[in-house]
Amino acid sequence: MPQQQAGGPPGWRRRAVVLLAWLLVLLCGAVVIARTQIGADLSAFLPKSPDVRQRVLIEQLQSGVASRTLMLGIEGGSTEQRAAVSRAVAKDMRESKLFDLVQNGDVGDWSEAGAWVLQHRYQLSPGVVPGQFTAEGLRDAINETLSMLGTPAGNVIKPFLDRDPTGETQRIAMELVPASAPRSEDGVWMSRAAPRALMIATTRAAGSDLDAQAVAIARVHAAYEAATRGMGATAPKLLLSGPPVFSVMSRDKIKTEAIHLAVVGGIVMGGLLLLAFASPRALVIAFLPVATGVVIGTASVSLVFGSVHGLTLGFGSTLIGETVDYAIYYLIQARGAAVAGTGWQRWRDLNWPTVRLGLLTSVCGFAALVFSGFPGLAQLGVFSIAGLVAAALATRYVLPVLAPDGATGMGMRRYMAQMAGALVRGLPRLRWPLAALGVAALALVLWQGGHLWRADLGAMSPVPKAAQQLDEMLRNDIGASDGGVLVVAYGDDEQAALRNTEAAAARLDALVEQGELVGYETVTRVLPSVAVQTARIASLPNAETLRANLAEATKGMPLPASRLGPFLADIEAARKLPPVERAELAGGPLGSILNTLMYQRPGGGWGTLVVLHPGAKFDQGRLEAALAGLPEVQVVDVGRELAGLYQRYLHEAFVQVLLGALAVVVLLGIYLRSWRRLLAVCQPLLFAVVLTLGGMALLQAALGILHLVGLLLIVAVGSNYALFFDQLRTTGRADEDTLASLMLANLTTVVSFGLIAISDIPALSSIGRVVAPGALLALLLSAAFARSVAPAKAARP
Amino acid sequence: MRLDWLCRACVLALAFCAVPAWAAFDLPELMTLLAKQKSGEARFTEQRFVHGLEGPLDASGTLSFDAPDKLVRRTLSPRIETMAVEGNTLTLSRGGRTRTLALDSMPELLGLVEAMRGTLTGDGATLQRYFRSTVSGSAAKWTLDLVPMDSRLAAQVRSMRISGRASDVLGLEMEFVGGDRSVMNITPGNAAPSSAPGRTTP
Repeated sequence: MPQQQAGGPPGWRRRAVVLLAWLLVLLCGAVVIARTQIGADLSAFLPKSPDVRQRVLIEQLQSGVASRTLMLGIEGGSTEQRAAVSRAVAKDMRESKLFDLVQNGDVGDWSEAGAWVLQHRYQLSPGVVPGQFTAEGLRDAINETLSMLGTPAGNVIKPFLDRDPTGETQRIAMELVPASAPRSEDGVWMSRAAPRALMIATTRAAGSDLDAQAVAIARVHAAYEAATRGMGATAPKLLLSGPPVFSVMSRDKIKTEAIHLAVVGGIVMGGLLLLAFASPRALVIAFLPVATGVVIGTASVSLVFGSVHGLTLGFGSTLIGETVDYAIYYLIQARGAAVAGTGWQRWRDLNWPTVRLGLLTSVCGFAALVFSGFPGLAQLGVFSIAGLVAAALATRYVLPVLAPDGATGMGMRRYMAQMAGALVRGLPRLRWPLAALGVAALALVLWQGGHLWRADLGAMSPVPKAAQQLDEMLRNDIGASDGGVLVVAYGDDEQAALRNTEAAAARLDALVEQGELVGYETVTRVLPSVAVQTARIASLPNAETLRANLAEATKGMPLPASRLGPFLADIEAARKLPPVERAELAGGPLGSILNTLMYQRPGGGWGTLVVLHPGAKFDQGRLEAALAGLPEVQVVDVGRELAGLYQRYLHEAFVQVLLGALAVVVLLGIYLRSWRRLLAVCQPLLFAVVLTLGGMALLQAALGILHLVGLLLIVAVGSNYALFFDQLRTTGRADEDTLASLMLANLTTVVSFGLIAISDIPALSSIGRVVAPGALLALLLSAAFARSVAPAKAARP
Repeated sequence: MRLDWLCRACVLALAFCAVPAWAAFDLPELMTLLAKQKSGEARFTEQRFVHGLEGPLDASGTLSFDAPDKLVRRTLSPRIETMAVEGNTLTLSRGGRTRTLALDSMPELLGLVEAMRGTLTGDGATLQRYFRSTVSGSAAKWTLDLVPMDSRLAAQVRSMRISGRASDVLGLEMEFVGGDRSVMNITPGNAAPSSAPGRTTP
C-alpha cells in the first residue's frame, strides 16, 4: 500500500482500493461466518491433551450416556393423573425414535426382549458352566427353579419350565433388574419424597449435538402438552432436567445474553459517542473498527477451529470492545490539522505508533491464551488477536479514507477535556496515598494467597441455581448413580473391550458379595464376549449325555424327565447358534442397553461403561484396589476428575497469563529502550492489577480462571493509557483533546465491562467485575504516576 | 343400624359363650397382641402344591424377625438360600450369588413382605393398606385372612391366611391365581418368650 503521499486527503484511487479491499475482506468473513457452526458443549473447557482418565471423562461428557440422559418429573395432580401422563409421554417419546431408552417404570413391553433372551439364554447366562449339566448340577439347578414354583413368581416361571428347567432365563433377568430403582406405584416410577412420577430417557443424538438435543427436548414438551390436554388446572407439571437441558439452556442463555449485551452496550456507547462528537457520522465511523474486528475475529476462529463456541462469541466481542478506543483516538487526535484533509497524516505520524504499540501489547497478552491447552481459551485468544489486528488496520487505513480530519463535532467533549485536565493536574498529588494503598492491597492479596482463588468449575456454570437444585432433586429421586463413580473399560476392538469388561465384572462381583456394591450394570450381561459365549456353548453336553444326566438328576423329583423334551431340543439348537454380536443386538429389543453402555471411542477402539450401584459400605479406594492391575479399566470419579481438570486449567491459565504479562513487558522494554520509561509504564498497570485484586479480596469474592483472564485484560487495555501518558511526557504535548480522547475511551471501556459485570452468566460477570474497575484504575493511576505532563491551565481555549 | 349391630353382638356373644371375653376379637386386638413380640426365631416346614408336578414340593428352614422391619427366611432344604428384608432392601442369596433390590420398586413383592411384617409387628394400618383383612377365632387360636387389593399382587395371589396362637404366628397359607398353593407350618424356636397366652378380661 502506498505509504507516503503529498498533503491532502487520500486520492480517489487509493480510497477506492482501500474501501474495496476492506469490503472484500468483510464479505469473505461474513461468508465464513454464515457457514460456521456455533457450539456450546462443555468440551471447550476440557484440555486437549488429557491423561487416560480425563480422556475417558471427556468421552463421557461429549457423547457418553451421562451427557445424553434426560430426567423427567411429573409433579402434582392425582396419582392416577401422574401415572397416565407418565405412560402417555413415555409412549410418545418411544415412538419418536429420538431416544435410545425411555424408562418410566412401565414393564409392559419386555415380552419381545424376553423372547430374545430365552432364545439366547445358553450364551448369556452366567450359570452355563461345565458343572451345570452333570447329574448333580442339573439336580441342583432344577431344584432352584422348583423353589420358585408355588410362590408369587411361580406363574411367570411355569410356562418355561419344560424348556428351561435350569432357570437360565430367570438368572439373566435377575441380573438385568437394577439393584436400585425408584418406587413403583400404579405401574410407573414415583418419587419416594414427593408426589412426583419419574422418568429417564437417553437421547439418541450425541450430547454435543445441541440442535438434536433441542429437538428431543421440544418433543418431550410436546408429548407432555398432548398428554395433559383436557386435564385443566389440576394437570401435573412437567419438570425436566439433565445435561442436555443444561447444554441447550446454556447455549440459549449465552445467545440471548450476548445479543442483549451487544444491544444495550451499543446503545450506551452510541449515546456516549454522540455526546462526545455530536455527530451521527462520527458515531457510525467509530463503530466500523469494532464491527470489522468482530467479523474477522469470528471468521478466524471458525477457520482455525472449525466451529465457534458460544462463549467465544459472547464475550470475545466484549474483549475487543477496546477497539472502539482506536476509533476514538483517531477521530479526536486527527482533528485540528492546519491544512484540511491532512489530519490523518499527522495522526499517522504522531499517534499511530502508540496505538500500534498498544495493539502489540494486547496481542501479546492474548497470544498467551492461544497457546493454552484448552480450546475454549485458545478460541478467545485467536478471536481477540484477529479482531484487534483487523480493527487496528481498519482504523489505520479505512478511517483516513472516510474521515481524513477526524470527527468535526465537539459535543460535550469540552467539559470532558476540562475534567480530564483537572484530574491530570490533581491526581499526582495522590501518588503516595495511592502507592500506600497499593502496598496494602498487595499485602492482603499475598496473605490470602491460594484462598483467594477458590472458585470452582460450578462457579463458571451458566446454569441457574434453581435448575441445579431441580437436577439434584430428580437425581436423588431416581437414585441415579451416574453422578459419582463410573467404571470404564476399553479395548482396541469390540471383543477386546468386552473381554476387559468381563474381567472387571468378575472383580466387581466380589465387591457385591462383600456388600460394597449392591449391584452394577454392564453390557456384557446382554453381549458377552465371543470367547465367553463360545466357552458356554462348549460346556453344553451332547443330546445323549444330557439325556442320561437328566434321567439321573430327576430321579425322585416331582418333575419327570419325560416332560423335558423341549429342554433337550433347545440345548441341541443352542449348540449350533452363532455367537451374539454387537450388530445383531443393536437392532433388537435390547439395543437400548447396548447403546447406553457401549460406545465407539472417538480416537478409535471401543469402550464400555459399568454403572455402579454403591452399597452402604462402598469405598472408592477399595474399588480402585479391586480393579488394580486391569490396565484397560479405569475408575472415573466425575466430581474429582472435573475438579482436577479445573485445577489444571487454573494452573495453566496462571502460567499463560504470567507469560503474556512478561511478553508485554519485554515488548514495551524493546520499544521504550529505557528502564525508567518502562518502569513508568508498568507501574500504574501493576498497581491497577493489585488494587483490583485487593478490592476483590476485601469483598471476599471467590476468584477463578475468568477473573485471571480479566486481569490480563486490565494489562492489555491499561497499557494503552500508560503508553499515551508516556508519549505525552516525551513529546511534551498534553493537549486537553488527547486527554479527552483517553477519558472517552476509558469511559466506553468501563461502561461496556460494567454491563458485563451485571450479566447473569457467571463467566461474563466475573470478567466484567475485574475489568471495569481495573480499567478505570489503570487510567487514574497512569495519570497519578505520570509526572510533568499536566497541561498548563488554559493552554487551548 | 344400631339395633342391628347390637343384635349381631348378642348373637356373637351367644355363639362364643364358652369364652365370652373373646367375642369381639378383632384386628386391633390381634395387632396389640402381636405387637408385644419384638423379635423371634422359628423353624418352618413348607409344602407347595403345584399343578402339573407329581407331588408336593417340600422345603424347610428357619425364620427370624427383628422389629420393626427385619425379616429373614433361610431355606436349608432342599437347597440353601436366603431371603432377607430390612427396611426397603431385599437381599436374595441363592446359588452363590447375592442380589439386592429395592422393595418398593416391585409393589407385588412389597405387598407380600408387608403382609408378613405387618402381622409380626402388629401393624394393622399397613396390613389394611394392602389387603382386605378378616380376623376370626380367639386370642388362643386366631386366623387372619388377607385378600390383596393391589391389582398387580391380586393377579398373582388370590388370598393369604395367617394363623397363630396368642402372639405366635404358627402358619401361613397362600393360594395363588391358577390354583397353586403353599402351606407353611411354623414352630417358634427357643428365642420366643414364654408369656402366658391368656388374657385378663377387659
